[in-house]
Amino acid sequence: MKLIMTTLLIPALCLAVGCGQAPNDKLSEAEKAVMNAKLAGAQAYVAEDYAKLEGMLNNAKTELADQNGKFALFRDYGKTEQLLAAVKAEAPKLIEETAKKKAATKDAALSAHQAAKDAVKAAQALVAKAPVGKDRAAVEAIRNEAKALKASLNEVQMAMDMEDYLTAQAKAKAVQDKSLALSSEVRGALAKVGGAGTGKSGSQAQGAKSPKKKK
Amino acid sequence: MDRFSLERLHAGTVIAVMSVSLLSACVQQAPPELVQSVEVLDRQLVAAHSAEFAPAEYARFVQRWAALKERLRSDGDLVGWPWEDNPFETDLRALHEEGSRVLALAIDTRNAERRGAATHVARLERRFRRLTSGVDRIGSRVVLGEKRVETELLVKQARSFMEQGRFVQAQRVARQADQRMTNQAAQLNSELSRYADKAQVDHWRAMVRRTVDWSRQHQAAALVVVKAMRRMTLYRNGKAIASYPVRLGFNGVQEKRYEDDGATPEGTYRVIRMKDRGQTEFYRALLLDYPNAEDQRRFQAARRTGAVPSRSRIGGNIEIHGEADRGLSQTLGCVMIGDRQMDALFLAVGVGTPVTIVGAVNADNQVAVVLAQLEQGDDDTNEDDADPSDEQATTDGTVVEQG
Repeated sequence: MKLIMTTLLIPALCLAVGCGQAPNDKLSEAEKAVMNAKLAGAQAYVAEDYAKLEGMLNNAKTELADQNGKFALFRDYGKTEQLLAAVKAEAPKLIEETAKKKAATKDAALSAHQAAKDAVKAAQALVAKAPVGKDRAAVEAIRNEAKALKASLNEVQMAMDMEDYLTAQAKAKAVQDKSLALSSEVRGALAKVGGAGTGKSGSQAQGAKSPKKKK
Repeated sequence: MDRFSLERLHAGTVIAVMSVSLLSACVQQAPPELVQSVEVLDRQLVAAHSAEFAPAEYARFVQRWAALKERLRSDGDLVGWPWEDNPFETDLRALHEEGSRVLALAIDTRNAERRGAATHVARLERRFRRLTSGVDRIGSRVVLGEKRVETELLVKQARSFMEQGRFVQAQRVARQADQRMTNQAAQLNSELSRYADKAQVDHWRAMVRRTVDWSRQHQAAALVVVKAMRRMTLYRNGKAIASYPVRLGFNGVQEKRYEDDGATPEGTYRVIRMKDRGQTEFYRALLLDYPNAEDQRRFQAARRTGAVPSRSRIGGNIEIHGEADRGLSQTLGCVMIGDRQMDALFLAVGVGTPVTIVGAVNADNQVAVVLAQLEQGDDDTNEDDADPSDEQATTDGTVVEQG
């Protein structure tokens, strides 16, 4: 009888202790999954869903802490493991959702960036057509502004490189708007001095009789 | 079957029926309509961007909701006494109350952020418009160069973020733009402080007085250009007889320092040549003796100190000329008037006529006033700030015929 009891009791005790082993490795995996989601941009692009994922992880940690607080024989980490498994399963879905939203935002930013580049190029082309003779005063004041627009395109690219697509899009739109306004102003100024077609050669022909003016 | 057995059977049946009824009445489930209402609330919280506007409260809500959902999944049916509360119902109601509070908080916070950002961005745009109009009024666009465009881009960006609902970012960019405008106002004040310097203005006024006195003593014509007023006055025998609006260099408000800087020089000059029709590209022109000895001295000193580029030249060919009728808004440094006014001037002046060009003759000149307004940066000031009243006055205060 004693032998039977011992034979039955030892495995039972082992089972009890085995059920009481904290799933620390599973916790690490779940934490890593949440971190991966954060690094993928989930907190920025799908903030509420990311908060839910964090809530699930926190629940799992709370459950783990509750079980750890019990006497070893009474610990049951089954629920903890289920919660951690749910977190690990949910994180990839969140990463996928983030990637979709990021891709859509990136497309919009790329489109805005290209539009801005085209507008800046057009503005610079108009400024380049500005006369160099007596009439160059018409666009002299805005020449520096055209340069500033070109420099601002670099800031748009920097935002794109940092994957801050919403900021890139806002900057690109601002650059495009200003470039269009500048082009309009240059066209108006050139029209007053005789049209955009006058260009450098026109001024030189006009001033052929007189040398370059000091001012 | 005897009577005793029947009674026992009847009692057993009653007990069994009662037990089953009792058990059925005590199985407690989560009310589905309550579960759905919490799910709807959850969606509303997402739509309200609760993670952004009530992060801590939303985090607590989602944690409790996740825990409750887990309980609903694993402890779906509970057994309890009929007089006991349904714990699922209790918890769901409590969660719904909490969620409603979080939703209200998120909405209130978002609205407050939106109002704050909207006010800030609107004030920023007003300030930028004031800066732009002030800079244009005094012709100092070139002074700020690229900086004005950089600021304008930030202002537009702030507006874009507002429209996207990114209120925190809108405020952050608006603060950057505000700081830039403060810096630019300081830069303008630094570059154009002469116009607000009493001693300088007195010096200019003295120059004008000497020119007017010369005109009286010699009973001859003299011209005075006041850059801040964009005005040229013709004197004869010491009396102002005509006043004309003028256009200056694209950097005309500045003091001329070197060739091609677009500034209109200041000093006392004389007409050294009169160019009639066919002799100039600008209808008619009066060539001045810039650079004179004082200009040369100043230029050499600036070159020695590095205030001007070492390879720069002093420039020349500064004229009073026509062609303002073509609608050109600025020159390369000359003083430009209309063709009809040039005709009148050609009859009134000659070679040797003194021409004095100064910055301002009043302390409250347009440049000084604009600089003071920009430095103040007061967002409550009226956008249509009144211009100084000196535009219609002559340099010595007399009323003249408008040219």
